[in-house]
Amino acid sequence: MPLTDDDIVRSISTHSPEGIEALYDRYGGLAYSVALRILGDRGAAEDVVQESFLSVWRRGSTFQSGRGSLRSWVCTIVRNRAIDRLRGDRHRTHLDTPIEGQSLEPAVTDPWAQVALELSGEEVRKALAELPAEQRQTIELAYYGGYSQSEIATAMEVPLGTVKGRVRIALDKLRLTLADRLEAPWQPR
Amino acid sequence: MNCEEAHDLLALDAVGGLETSDRAEMERHLTTCADCRQAAAQYANVASLLPAALEQVQPPARLRRTLMAQVYAEATTKTTEPWWQRLLNAIPANRAITAVGAVAVVAAVVFGIWGTPGRQQVSPPIAYAVSGGTSQESVTGTLNVDTTSEQSVLTVQGLAVLPSTEVYEVWLVPAHGAPKGVAFLTPSPSGGSWTAVVNVSLAGYDSIAATNEPVGGSPAPTGAQVLIGQLMSS
Repeated sequence: MPLTDDDIVRSISTHSPEGIEALYDRYGGLAYSVALRILGDRGAAEDVVQESFLSVWRRGSTFQSGRGSLRSWVCTIVRNRAIDRLRGDRHRTHLDTPIEGQSLEPAVTDPWAQVALELSGEEVRKALAELPAEQRQTIELAYYGGYSQSEIATAMEVPLGTVKGRVRIALDKLRLTLADRLEAPWQPR
Repeated sequence: MNCEEAHDLLALDAVGGLETSDRAEMERHLTTCADCRQAAAQYANVASLLPAALEQVQPPARLRRTLMAQVYAEATTKTTEPWWQRLLNAIPANRAITAVGAVAVVAAVVFGIWGTPGRQQVSPPIAYAVSGGTSQESVTGTLNVDTTSEQSVLTVQGLAVLPSTEVYEVWLVPAHGAPKGVAFLTPSPSGGSWTAVVNVSLAGYDSIAATNEPVGGSPAPTGAQVLIGQLMSS
């Protein structure tokens, strides 16, 4: 019987190599895809994925179930490391992205997180495609490009307030669209 | 800062675009506003879905191989550290504990284990000899079993270097039924010896063996048997 995410977390917390092996077998492909999307270089992406999984192995799991999925936890670690590397290449230091060891998940449980696990990549792609191009581009510049709000404002030649508004509206719309597809009621604030 | 402004920053934070200069004010607001704390979780969860939209790219097989070789090598080092070193390592580095405190902890454990009459004593480790199988007869090695943690370390000498497409997979073999793949042997950086950590109880198994398998391992042994050892008390 395949291991559940909970089994994997338990295994990692006992410092078992098999736990890391199972974590990699389940999420290594996704982790590599995230790193490659951010860095655009296969060798650099491999380095980042290896460093990320080794850091989980050495520190043990800091994952807390109920505060998001194991999948998003892995993606966050890999994304942060990839962005750090990208930032190092650009000699930028002022963006405030958490590193692992700090809280990687929000401090409040969101019941929608478990529902979101059931979404397929295709559904998320569709929802993203429905966003206006400038909103999609804004969140992609931040999430995959590691750009700060000021840098995005400069790059897109718009006021800072517009950048903030675009990100917020884009995330509200994404959540609403995906919640609709799942028939799970949710109202943006 | 009002909730409207906080939501803008929470959304930015969720996609990683928040600048340090805005973080302190946002966090101050979060300490006093439960609604915004809930919104922070919601934005973070939506942002966490973004990678799901990526077309998955298969990583090269060498990435898994390199990662797991490093993990198993470190696991072996950790397991072979003396008990007092492992105890000291287990003390969190960020805890304000002095050297005197550490000694006190060690002393407490020592007296806890050996100082009280009638207490259960720590079982000594068990070692089983392994030897070459049908394809590599000159192989020798030892399986050291920590009976307290049920973790075992297999250390082997004399194994041939493998092509990059193959691994040595370790199996536990029951008297009846199929062998269970439990670990891969990893070469030491200096060469010569190979190690594997087995995190499975040996109860119910008659012997341990290793075979050549394709990278990633096999559901059941398919390659030549390179070592075998009986799991019986000497």
